Amino acid sequence: MRRLFLLLIASFLASGAAHADRLDDIKQAGVLRVAAFDSNPPFGFVDPDSKQIVGLDVDYAKVLADKLGVKLELRPTNPANRIPLLTSGKVDLVLANFTITEERAKQLDFSIPYFSSGQQFLAKKGTLTSPDQLNGLRIGADKGTTNEIVLRRDFPKAVVVAFDDTPFAFTALRNGNVQAITQDGPKLVGLLANVPDRENYEIPPFTISDDYIGVGIPKGEKRLADVVNETLLELEASGKAAAIYDAWFGPNTKQPLPRLFKIGDKK
Amino acid sequence: MGVFGEPMALRYLIWLLEGFAVTLLLSAAVSVAATGLGIAVCGLKLSGRRPLVILADTYVSIIRNTPLLVQLFFWYFGASALMPSGLMTWLNTPHVLDAVLVSLHWPAFETIAGFFGLTLYAGAYIAEEFRAGINGVDPAQRESAMALGLRPALVFWLVVLPQAVRIAWLPVVGQYLNTIKNTSLTMAIGLAELSYASRQVETETFLTFQAFGIATILYVAAVAVTEAAGHAVARSGRFAWATQRP
Repeated sequence: MRRLFLLLIASFLASGAAHADRLDDIKQAGVLRVAAFDSNPPFGFVDPDSKQIVGLDVDYAKVLADKLGVKLELRPTNPANRIPLLTSGKVDLVLANFTITEERAKQLDFSIPYFSSGQQFLAKKGTLTSPDQLNGLRIGADKGTTNEIVLRRDFPKAVVVAFDDTPFAFTALRNGNVQAITQDGPKLVGLLANVPDRENYEIPPFTISDDYIGVGIPKGEKRLADVVNETLLELEASGKAAAIYDAWFGPNTKQPLPRLFKIGDKK
Repeated sequence: MGVFGEPMALRYLIWLLEGFAVTLLLSAAVSVAATGLGIAVCGLKLSGRRPLVILADTYVSIIRNTPLLVQLFFWYFGASALMPSGLMTWLNTPHVLDAVLVSLHWPAFETIAGFFGLTLYAGAYIAEEFRAGINGVDPAQRESAMALGLRPALVFWLVVLPQAVRIAWLPVVGQYLNTIKNTSLTMAIGLAELSYASRQVETETFLTFQAFGIATILYVAAVAVTEAAGHAVARSGRFAWATQRP
């Protein structure tokens, strides 16, 4: 009986060892399969010249593949397909501007955040420097957005004026009806890029709420997650993360946005 | 779960009631101002002086032939871009006048633009209602009064005007009702009236049916009460006396 028991345990251990995890699978196959956006610049989009998917997310995916010593295979995805691709095992990782939420974390694991986009403000130069001033200002927001809700909740003395669309809010800012408008940072940058007198405006370098973007990892793949997290921290330490950021949001790009978040700031 | 589904938290009901108060105050202010404007424009039209008539006709046709929403955008976004920036800054900063008991708040620019746009709009229609009222008085009334030897001013004041007011009264009340409903368009320029408040509640609570359902009930109530009051005035003794036909 005792012998049988030992045998049973031994067979369990053996099967455990024989069942390699995803990290081993990737190394064995020699390919890292990553889901990325193909139409969400500058995170992941098809480069019109090379016809290849490029972007900030893709740069990170390349570094991860290099670190594992395997080839990178990109799989285009859209917001709705990200979780199914990962849970069905069709890809090994998701790098597609993937906001970390509790709801999603029930179905998959996230790496530490490697990017953050937050609610920011656009104002005439010199009028807004810190969040403390918001309580005394009239601020334009888009109707029906979380920006509107967050602003009203956290800055009850600010006068929130909600408009149908960002261009209306911006016109109100231009005319002086509001002193600032609020939106997600990357969206404000995109808006500002098309303004003729953009030198009169600025996006003050602070956020009032943040969305964190992480790498989607299959649930329970601890070793794979460790490699991803270590690699991300190394990238920050070596300055490579800042270089990737600057390539897409740096001062010389179409949509300059100051880098407020560093990898490792938030676990 | 009542008829309206999930009940709404008190703070959201308060938002709706605050929006309703703004709708009522704005409607009342616009109705009063537009009535004055309508009388003045009607006076210009009947003055017989060509430049004044052309001025009044141009105003009425521009206002009546363009959508109200576009007019509101014009006053809020367009006109404010043309104003000197010093004036805009003054208009957009809160001004509080501390009187003995109450402190008067200078309204926000959204309110000023909304009030201005709605008044110009309703004024054009009310001017036409008054003109129709005056034209609707039987010419024999005027002729008889003249035959009695009354001066033209007295003919107008004592004979034509009372009858014209009676003819015009219910159509003018109809314009007040339109004004109540038209205030909802000012949500597009960020004026926090009832429609704006109901959308804001909907955004925060996702209680779509409740938010817009309550707003609908409040609009219906405001319109019904105003209409009933208008009819009551039309039936009242004084009004009837003033407009009694001989």
